[in-house]
Amino acid sequence: MTSEDIRSTLLACLSDVAPEVDTEALEDDMDLRDELDLDSMDILRWVQGIHKALGVEIPEEDYGKITTLGEAVDYVSARV
Amino acid sequence: MGAQEPMRRGGLFKEGPMASPAVRRRAHELDVSLEGLRGSGEHGRITIEDVQQAAEAKPVPSGARDRVRISPYARRIAADRGVDIAEIRGTGPGGAIRADDVLRAEPSKAAERASPAERMQRAIAAAMTRANDEIPHYYVEHTIDMSAALGWLRDFNASASIEERLVSGVLVLRAVALALRKHRSLNATWQGGEAVPSEEVNVGLAVSLRGGGLVAPALRNTDEGSLSELMGRMTDLVARARSGTLRSSEMTAATITLTALGERGVESVTPIIFPPQVAIVGCGATVERPWVVDGRVVVRPVMRVTLGADHRVSNGHQGARFLSTLENLLQEPDEL
Repeated sequence: MTSEDIRSTLLACLSDVAPEVDTEALEDDMDLRDELDLDSMDILRWVQGIHKALGVEIPEEDYGKITTLGEAVDYVSARV
Repeated sequence: MGAQEPMRRGGLFKEGPMASPAVRRRAHELDVSLEGLRGSGEHGRITIEDVQQAAEAKPVPSGARDRVRISPYARRIAADRGVDIAEIRGTGPGGAIRADDVLRAEPSKAAERASPAERMQRAIAAAMTRANDEIPHYYVEHTIDMSAALGWLRDFNASASIEERLVSGVLVLRAVALALRKHRSLNATWQGGEAVPSEEVNVGLAVSLRGGGLVAPALRNTDEGSLSELMGRMTDLVARARSGTLRSSEMTAATITLTALGERGVESVTPIIFPPQVAIVGCGATVERPWVVDGRVVVRPVMRVTLGADHRVSNGHQGARFLSTLENLLQEPDEL
């Protein structure tokens, strides 16, 4: 699975959580909480979606490592 | 000609203020004269915003408000529905406008033109203005040590499957609900000049919408069921609030509201009660602060919780007891 595939999957999961967000306009270094107005429940739902789609389990203590899309792609790429 | 003066173009163009047909139409609707209005657009062109501001700045004629005879209840309905009372013919004594007249009237043109977010903001403004005008609020606040609750949550989530994980908000939500069981005067609605206690504890959750706006749908029987079940219901409710698929009963069933702004870094919230409720709880961020335990200063995660309540129904002493109960519940997360 390429990084681009993973990026697309993460964006699809993000769209499920926040369908009103234009994910195409999202840049890799944008802070997801600030730019998309995500809260802890949104992050949890996103993490659950990633687990369902890719089988990667992100523990709660690692939420700080996926604050941007770019970070999340790197994190998941290393574990998928 | 000064640099800020509108550019005048003669010859091919009509004399007079520079404004598009849409702006002229809006000015006509709002009874605003474009003559003498300074435009903020390019080359001094008058914009719709300029017209709007001019309309808002117009002085209200003395006694204009009193010329329309309307009951406070009918006036409130008109504000909630975006109905212009100047366009209503009253059927009450002496032409007074009654609630039925307002309900039969169409929303004003301005209200019809508003986007959904604008309409929602107007409804919120009407409700909050009413709350501020009619409810004698009092506030009490506690700073709660959250280390027990967060420690419990950390352990729970570490051993739970990813689908079963909880967020700290659900612990606070349940604690508020359980505290209300003991402090019934805060779990009520104000109807017809008196407080009507509610048998059910239905906490309304203030949910901000990403496109703007705020809703506070109810989680019915928030004091019942497991935390996992409550988490599932809360997740579903928030998702439906943001997708605009709430049931109308969920918008009216709340007996108190919980508003949490901690995730945006706010440390303290002083909320306004949602009528006809008689209390609201505001939570700030959980932050690490010096805390004295057994005579020693230690660092603890703490959260400021504010209760806003209706002084017609309860008093500060009762409010303080509610917050003490809430604090005690959050020290015993196993009991939630």
